[in-house]
Amino acid sequence: MKKLIAASAAVLMTVTACGSGAYDATEIPPKPQPKAAAAPAAPVPCTDKTNPLASYTPEGAMPQPGAMPAGSYMKKIFDNKRLIAGVSADSLHLGSRNPISGQIEGFDIDMIKAVAKAIFGNENAVELRVISSPQRIPVLKDQTVDIVARNMTINCARWKDIAFSAEYYRSGQKTLVPLDSTAKSTKDPKLDGQTICAPAGSTSLDNLKAENPNIIPITADTDTGCLVLFQSGKAYGISGDDTVLAGDAAQDPYAKVLPEKAFSAEPYGLGMSKAHPEFVQFVNQVLEQMKADGRWMASYNKWLAPDLGDLKAPPAPVYGRPITP
Amino acid sequence: MTQTQSAPPATWSPPTPQQTAALQRPGTPAPRGAVAQWFEGTPGRMRAFLVLAAAISVVFGLCAAQGFNQSDGALQRAEANAAQLVRIQAIHTNLVSANADATNAFLVGGLEPAQQRQHFVDSMASAARLVAEAASAQPADRDALGQLNTTLVTYQGLIEQARANNRQGLPIGSQYLRDANATLQNDSLPLVKALVAANEKRVDTEFGGVGDGFWWVFVGGVLALFILIVTLRWLARRTHRYLNIPILAGAIVVALTMLIGTFALFAASGKATDTREGDYASTLALSRARIAAYDARSNESLTLIARGSGDAYNKAYDESAKVVEDQLRKISGSSEGAGLWALYQQSHADIRDQDVEKGNWDLAVKIATGNASATEKNSVEAFDAFDKATAKELENTSSGVSGELKDARNGLPPIGWLGLPIGILVALLMAWGMSQRLGEYR
Repeated sequence: MKKLIAASAAVLMTVTACGSGAYDATEIPPKPQPKAAAAPAAPVPCTDKTNPLASYTPEGAMPQPGAMPAGSYMKKIFDNKRLIAGVSADSLHLGSRNPISGQIEGFDIDMIKAVAKAIFGNENAVELRVISSPQRIPVLKDQTVDIVARNMTINCARWKDIAFSAEYYRSGQKTLVPLDSTAKSTKDPKLDGQTICAPAGSTSLDNLKAENPNIIPITADTDTGCLVLFQSGKAYGISGDDTVLAGDAAQDPYAKVLPEKAFSAEPYGLGMSKAHPEFVQFVNQVLEQMKADGRWMASYNKWLAPDLGDLKAPPAPVYGRPITP
Repeated sequence: MTQTQSAPPATWSPPTPQQTAALQRPGTPAPRGAVAQWFEGTPGRMRAFLVLAAAISVVFGLCAAQGFNQSDGALQRAEANAAQLVRIQAIHTNLVSANADATNAFLVGGLEPAQQRQHFVDSMASAARLVAEAASAQPADRDALGQLNTTLVTYQGLIEQARANNRQGLPIGSQYLRDANATLQNDSLPLVKALVAANEKRVDTEFGGVGDGFWWVFVGGVLALFILIVTLRWLARRTHRYLNIPILAGAIVVALTMLIGTFALFAASGKATDTREGDYASTLALSRARIAAYDARSNESLTLIARGSGDAYNKAYDESAKVVEDQLRKISGSSEGAGLWALYQQSHADIRDQDVEKGNWDLAVKIATGNASATEKNSVEAFDAFDKATAKELENTSSGVSGELKDARNGLPPIGWLGLPIGILVALLMAWGMSQRLGEYR
């Protein structure tokens, strides 16, 4: 009888336990693993023998604003009532949003405005779309924007996907470090084993690895993303175009750009779709005009000269690329 | 949320001297014979029936107590877990609402509207308070809430850095804001969603458990009645006396307890089901609708911030907006929410029209940030109206849930603690009734 009682008591206890208020601890969702940095595609050796800087040679006289030749891509833009441009909104002095006025402004933006003025006679007939570095080529290939002005380096590999205008600025890559760093250049062994940030998918990243293979490269989506990593201590330095670094240093008094000679040449071009060579030719005419009438220099002096010093002359255009369908 | 345990079934009858003797002297050969002797012949059978009937009476008492405690506990826990769920969803709402403020403020730059800033601060403060409350209300949620707190500290830090930089007009402010948004979306909200899922499951389990108590009382009662009737029948045949009054009285007590008990539990479980399908379902739907609405609002701002390359955000807006509509449709009874949401959707359509079709980003931003110079109905006011109305409705339905569950608990007869005394009473009646017959054999 005692056994029976003990057994029934045991059964009761077990059954009661399942109805009590003890719950399993709430499961904490696993942290999404940061995607392993995809091995960068090995740069395809460029077999193209044309000078990468060479763009399509302008033909004929430049059409007057508002009188675009019928059937041309400029006419299509004109009918659309605005030029759609892919730009950066966070590269100080190149393309950045002025937080006070809310407008995006800078050296790159001045180029876009000049193109708009040549088409519409109104430099504000522009729709600026903010894009990230890795988006630059895709948005041109699927033609969601007409033109990209986002400190984009002209090179042979990119010519396979898109077309470039003639060079509108010659930048070069340098490295930004904390103010107390004693390193003299990017090659300096003092930087060995340090993390240096460069935007993903940029030429800066490849150049950096080539210049000093002993540093640990990390990436962010944008140049400003690198500056955040730098400020939070996750990156020791930032490598990039001197134009961009100048903007970064202007935002952070505890950063300095290494006093070195640029270790790469970064000729900037306006990116356009390969499908409209007449538009590329037109933009080349606009740039030539700007360089000739001093608008280019005025813009340089306004945005870049305070950080990068005076410049004697804008880069000379190179033409002669055959138009291939 | 501890449950009162019924007393362990210890003392239904003292062990007989023989049994004690047997236990004390396991080596002696005699006792086994003594126990067997005790159950020998008709008086022995009577004793056996007495033991069985008394035992089953006590077991029935325990079953009844168990059934009531279980249902009562389930109701109590359902109420507590529903309250916790409302709390977690309030945390979720506060977070997405704060984030909507922060992203919207980005559109106006460093000069944030004071009201919006205040709303952000208030939302973060309520979220912090609710996290602490929720951690003490449900120990099982503590670890997840601790993690959540960690991510919120990071989030708030990034937001303040963004503000400081925005205030100085530095473009890096926007990057901090993006990182803050990413922290909230990728680190905080998955934790909140896990908490919501866990608590929804707990509420469901408890609502499902309310009806279980019924079976304890029912099965225990049927079993006890069966044994008591068999005992009565056996006695009637063996002793040729048709009715043994005390045993019959015991059987009637068991039958009544069972009837009242099952009926009460059945009614309580019905009330719980009504609550679950009524106010509880509405509370869930309203909470989900509000969370999706704030998400949509954030995405509206993000679409504008992205300036034309915000297709992904606009798709996210459409998805969230659909969730709002679906959830609002689930609310029982009348709700102002759907009408107000439609109004907000109209302002949103205006914004998209200005931004995409007309290419007038500046006007779109003015509508989205409630700038007075925009003549179109601005989306800030439209959203506020929706927010206020649904917040009020949510308060009503969630207090409805706890009120109804409290009523259901208060309606239960006190069988939870009377069960065992009733069982013992019936066992004593058995002993009394049987001893009358046993006495005839002395």
